[in-house]
Amino acid sequence: MTKILLRYLNLLVLTLLVVIVFSFTLGYLFPGDVYTNLTGLESKAEALRYLKVDSDAGFFSLFIAYFSNTLVGQWGVSSITGEPLFSEVLLSLPATLELGFYALLLAVVVGLPCGFFAGLKPQRSLDMSILGASAVMYSFPVFWLAMVFILIFSLNLEWLPMSGRVDLLLNVPTVSGFIFVDILLADNIDKGHAFVDALKHLALPTLSVSIITMATLIRAVRRSTLDVMRKPYIIAAQSRGLSSAQIFLKHGMRNALLPILPIMAMQVTTLITNVMIVESLFSWPGMGHWLLQAIYQQDYPAIRTGLLAVAGAVIVLTIIIEVLSRLVDPSREKFDRVAV
Amino acid sequence: MALLDIKNLTLEIDTDNGWIKALDKANLSVREGEIQALVGESGSGKSLIVRAISGGLPPQMRLTADRMTWRGANLLAMNAEQRREIMRRDIAVVYQDPLASLDPSVTLGEQLEESVPYEFVGKGWFWEKQKERKRIAIELVHKVGIKDHAGVMSAYPHQIASDIGQKFMIAMALVSQPALLIADDPTRGMEATTKVQILKLFKRLNQTKRLSILFVGHDLLAISSMSDSMTVLYCGQTVESGPIKQLQKRPLHPYTKALLDSAPSFRADLPPKSPLVTLPGTIPTLQHLPIGCRLGPRCHRAQKTCVQTPAVRKIHDHFYSCHYPLHTNNS
Ligand SMILES: Nc1ncnc2c1ncn2[C@@H]1O[C@H](COP(=O)(O)OP(=O)(O)OP(=O)(O)O)[C@@H](O)[C@H]1O
Ligand code: SF4
Ligand SMILES: [Mg+2]
Repeated sequence: MTKILLRYLNLLVLTLLVVIVFSFTLGYLFPGDVYTNLTGLESKAEALRYLKVDSDAGFFSLFIAYFSNTLVGQWGVSSITGEPLFSEVLLSLPATLELGFYALLLAVVVGLPCGFFAGLKPQRSLDMSILGASAVMYSFPVFWLAMVFILIFSLNLEWLPMSGRVDLLLNVPTVSGFIFVDILLADNIDKGHAFVDALKHLALPTLSVSIITMATLIRAVRRSTLDVMRKPYIIAAQSRGLSSAQIFLKHGMRNALLPILPIMAMQVTTLITNVMIVESLFSWPGMGHWLLQAIYQQDYPAIRTGLLAVAGAVIVLTIIIEVLSRLVDPSREKFDRVAV
Repeated sequence: MALLDIKNLTLEIDTDNGWIKALDKANLSVREGEIQALVGESGSGKSLIVRAISGGLPPQMRLTADRMTWRGANLLAMNAEQRREIMRRDIAVVYQDPLASLDPSVTLGEQLEESVPYEFVGKGWFWEKQKERKRIAIELVHKVGIKDHAGVMSAYPHQIASDIGQKFMIAMALVSQPALLIADDPTRGMEATTKVQILKLFKRLNQTKRLSILFVGHDLLAISSMSDSMTVLYCGQTVESGPIKQLQKRPLHPYTKALLDSAPSFRADLPPKSPLVTLPGTIPTLQHLPIGCRLGPRCHRAQKTCVQTPAVRKIHDHFYSCHYPLHTNNS
C-alpha cells in the first residue's frame, strides 16, 4: 500500500513539475520581456533581484531560480495592481474550490439515488423519466443555463441574487476564503442572516455547475447498477434468500459505486472548467473571474500564475480521488500501475 | 413423496432469432434423502434447470411448467417472499462458477457470516451474535476441508485458488442446513484427492443428515459411486431417468447408452484396444434445434416417427422418452 501511495506521489510531483515548466515557457511565449513576464516587475534590475539571479544567467539557471521561487510562493506581482500574485490566488482559489465542492456535492446527493433507482428497475417509467431528464440536462451548455437561471430567478422572479458570494453590506471579513467558514469566524454580524444570504448567493451558481456533472453521474451510476445487478454473485445472493434490500445495500451498491470514483476523477477537470465559466457570469470572486480580469487587462504574470494554480489544483484533486478509489477497491491488484 | 417435483418444465430464452426453447418439457424429481445425478453434455441445459429452480430469472427468460412443487407446495404460485423463504432455509445452490458467485469487494468471511440464518445465532447483543456467526462459519469452513480458515476468511475472492473457492461455496450452501443441496459441477477441475474429499463429504451429509443432493456433473464414475438415481438431459430434453443401477445395467434410451459407453473407465467388460464408442456429430446449438426428438440427427435408431417428440413412458420407476428404446421387444 505504501508503495502505491509513493507511486501516486511520484506521479503528482512529476506532473506538477511539467506544469511549472510550462508556466516558465509562457514567460518566453507571452509578448514583452521575459523577466517582467516571470515576475511582474517592470525594471529588469528589480526582476533579477526578485528571482535572485545575475543578469547573465542562462536559460537553465533562470528556470532553477523560477522553480525555487514558485515552490516558496514567490509567484511574482500583478503588473496592474502590483499586489503579490500568491496572496491574490489565495484569495480567489478558495471561492472556486468552494463552488466546485458544493456543485459536486449536489450532483452526488441527487445523482446517486437517481442513478440507483433508474438502474434497479430498468425500462420502467421511472427509469425512462430519469434517463430522459439526464439527457436533457446533459445537453445544456453551462453558460446558457446560467444565463437562463439569472433571467428567471434573479431578474423576473427576483428570488435570488445574481452576483457575489454574500451581501457586501454584511462586511464578512475574509479569513479562510471559504464563505461559510468565514461567517462562522466573523464577530459582530448576524450569523443566521449571513448564512441564509450566502446560501441564496450560492444557489444559482451551484445549480448551473452541477447540472452537467449530475447528468454524467446519473448515467454512469445507472449503467453500473444495471451491470452489477446482473452479476452471478447477485444471483447467488438471491438464491441464498437474501432480501432485495439486503442484496442491494450489501453487494449491489458498493460494487456499483467502485467504477464511479475513477469517472469522478475524470470529471474534476470538466467541473472546474464549468465553475470558472459560471464564476464570470455570477461575478463570483474565484479563479475564473480573476483570470478573465487578468486577460482583459493583459496582465501576463497573472495569467501565468492563474494557469499554474488552476492546473495544480486540478491535478491534486484528480490524484486524491484516484487514490481514494484505489483504497476502497480491494479487487484492483496491489501491483497495478498508477495512472490518472 | 418427492421433495422437489418438476413436470414439463419449459424455459424459453429471447434471442436474436426469437424465443427458443432451451429446456423442452424437462422432468425432474428428487426424493427425500436421495442423491440424484443430473448429467448431460456441455450445453444440454443443466445449469438452466438449476437457474429455473432457484428462481429470479431475468426478463429475457420465460418459464412454464405443468408442475413445479417443493414438498407439495406449488413453487410457481408462490409470491417472491415465500419463494425467498424456501431458498433461504430449504434449498441451497452451489453455482458452476464459484468465484463469480462471490462478491468481489467483500471478504469471504463476511459473506459466509452474512449467510448464517438469524435463527441460528440466538438472542443477545450484536457482538455476541457476531461471535456466534463467526464460530458457525469457521466450523463450516473446516468441515469442507479448508484448514487455513483465518487466511481464507479474510481474503477477497480474487485472492483465492479456484478449488478453495469451490469448497467455500459448498460451505456457504451448507450454512443454512438445507434439505436439498443443488451442486452444479462442484468438483470441476479439482484434483483427484480433493474431489474424493468433497464426494465423501456429500455422501456423509446424505447419510447422517439425510441431506438430499441434486448433483450436476459430467463425471460418471463419481456419480455412479454415490448417486441413487440419475436423470439424463440431452439438449434441453430429459431423455431418461431412474435408479442408477437400472440405468447402468439396462439403459433404454440410445443417448444414455452412448453416454455410458463413452466413459471407458465405467465399463468393466471393455476388451483391450477396442475403439471408443461415441455418438457421431455434436450437440446442436440452440439456434439449430431439430424438431421432435432432439437426438434425431445423431441417432442410429431414428425413424420417421422421431420428428414427433416422444412421450414419457415408464417401466416401474424408470422413465424414458424414445419411440424405439433399446432392450425392449416392441422395436
Ligand atoms: N442467458 C442465456 N441466454 C441465451 N442462451 C443461454 C443463456 N444461458 C444459457 N444459454 C444457452 O442454454 C444452453 C444450456 O446452457 P447451460 O449452461 O445450462 O448448459 P450446461 O448443461 O450447464 O453446460 P455445462 O456442462 O457446460 O455447464 C446453452 O446452449 C447456452 O448457450
Ligand atoms: S426417439 Fe427416435 S431419434 Fe429419439 S432417441 Fe429414440 S430412436 Fe432416437
Ligand atoms: Mg452448466
